[in-house]
Amino acid sequence: MDKNKLTRRRFLKTTGAATAVLGFPTIIPSSALGNADTPPPSNRIVMGGIGIGNMGSGDQGAFLGKKDVQYVAVSDVRKKQLNAAKDRADKRYQNTDCKAYGDFRELLARPDIDAVHIATPDHWHAIMVIEACRAGKDVFCQKPETRTLREGPLMIEAAKRYGRVVSGGSQRVLEDYRGIVERCWRGDHGPIKSINVEVGPLSQPCNLPPETCPEDMDWEMWLGPAPWAPYNAKRCDGNFGTGGGSWRSYIDYSGGGMTDWGAHHFGGATFAVDVRELQPTDVILQNESGKKFLTFQYPNGIQITHNKPGRGNMNVEGTPGEKKEAKPVPKYAGQGGITGDFIECVKTRGTPFRNLESAVNTMAVCHLGIIAYTVGRSLKWDAAKQSFINDEEANRFLDRARREPWQI
Amino acid sequence: MLDKAFEALKTYDWGMDPKLIQPIDEAIVSTHGDAAARKDLESRLIAALQGEAPRAAKDAVCRALRTIGTAASVPALAALLADEKLSHMARYALQCIPAPEAEKALAEALSKVGGKLKIGVISSLGVRRSAAAVAPLQAPLADSDPVIARAAACALGTIGSPEANQALTAAKARPETKDAIADSMLECAENLLAAGKKQEAKAAYEKILSDSPSKAVKIAAERGAAACAGS
Repeated sequence: MDKNKLTRRRFLKTTGAATAVLGFPTIIPSSALGNADTPPPSNRIVMGGIGIGNMGSGDQGAFLGKKDVQYVAVSDVRKKQLNAAKDRADKRYQNTDCKAYGDFRELLARPDIDAVHIATPDHWHAIMVIEACRAGKDVFCQKPETRTLREGPLMIEAAKRYGRVVSGGSQRVLEDYRGIVERCWRGDHGPIKSINVEVGPLSQPCNLPPETCPEDMDWEMWLGPAPWAPYNAKRCDGNFGTGGGSWRSYIDYSGGGMTDWGAHHFGGATFAVDVRELQPTDVILQNESGKKFLTFQYPNGIQITHNKPGRGNMNVEGTPGEKKEAKPVPKYAGQGGITGDFIECVKTRGTPFRNLESAVNTMAVCHLGIIAYTVGRSLKWDAAKQSFINDEEANRFLDRARREPWQI
Repeated sequence: MLDKAFEALKTYDWGMDPKLIQPIDEAIVSTHGDAAARKDLESRLIAALQGEAPRAAKDAVCRALRTIGTAASVPALAALLADEKLSHMARYALQCIPAPEAEKALAEALSKVGGKLKIGVISSLGVRRSAAAVAPLQAPLADSDPVIARAAACALGTIGSPEANQALTAAKARPETKDAIADSMLECAENLLAAGKKQEAKAAYEKILSDSPSKAVKIAAERGAAACAGS
């Protein structure tokens, strides 16, 4: 037996003493004993959630609905949101056991927590995923999983180093594009030449005026590693817009629609044409009738185009008349969509559908595209070295300095 | 347009339309490959940084110098490393400027700044992954403030060289710094293993395991030690 594989039961046994010392709840709800429908705690995954607003509350609901999850903690920088999330968990279990933390590091320090879900703005993802892995937690991280190219490999290394299960969080990759993916994998198009993705816009600089920060919000913690800026409600609003008035619109926190919906669309495209394990070698910036678009060239000859005029979203160009061997389409493990897939993988130590490597590869497409548009030229990418070839200036966009005291 | 943008930069403050200074970003793209134009652009940005422009303006200048800054920008940026408000944005540019002068400025700042700002400088030195940064990071690694020591350990792990591993191995681990040092030693050990230096990697893993590591670190070190045993 591999002694490094820690079973759930052994984990609970070895952490029991520490839990008692730290004074975590000892009241045992009736459900804690288990019954025909609900597994006893020793077979449940103990979870907490970090960033519990829009997508975070949705993810929390999904995990709270799972009988094999015991949800015990939440963390957010907005107290109202935080308290509401605690109330949801407490209502679910009919107790008051869910703990609320303003600082995610306190949640991660709890030895009784097996796994966390993360749904903060994108500029926090890498730090939190890496810290969670260091703390021995499995992680479900909402998309876009990375904010810079450098972050991806560091997250993968941390997950591998600590033997953690880390899932990305785009449910649409498998669910929205199933028909397209099945046609591609079945061979309906013959050998695939290319697929086009329509998505945007890129995020913009933000220079909104200062406003009074609500008392229930920890603004310094919301900004975290991002450059300091004065509070403005539109700067940090979690709505799903990317055209201004949400953090998804602004460079310091997001890549805009290019990464937000891009995580879904490029995720679906790389899945459909089966390049999830690869990164492009070339990012070719073209101009047709005044409209800029990109071609991502993959080492196996396949191309993904971005906003190519005359093609729609997820439009596939194949080789009609030529045969392509059919392959079975990968599916989620377990029950309950992408969150169920994650929980099943936590239990079996399997590889999630949107495993971190494929999520990072998808996000790399988005970031490479943003950099090409930003510097205004085509780029050559060395995936092994994670650097642009013969373009020192483009390499300056691989990462950005994090505001003290945050580092990865 | 560019002249107007630089004029606007003098009073550019929070709440003003970013389009006012957008021509500067456009000039960065259009002057690619034109050394003379870039030199002129950089000089104007440096002047703005050294002037009395508001914080938002200097923030924007640092972002621009991140892309086009050279050794010429280093003195103006280095002067901001001890500035509570602008230190991060100075690093935003300095961290990306490949000139050795940028590295030297960061290393020299280590003895001039404290607290959070020092953590930032340490972090930027780590990200640059220069072998020369290992020596200056050894003092903060031994700092009595565990937050500084952990930051230095993290930076040395990012550098990840055999020399960084030696510095980490020699560090006196305290309860508050033990896991950070171990995490960085794990990074270094992985690099040693990837380079085929199994004995050195094994020694690093054994050192980690001998220091009563946390559960997560112990599992990671045991996995690493097992990998060293393979042929």
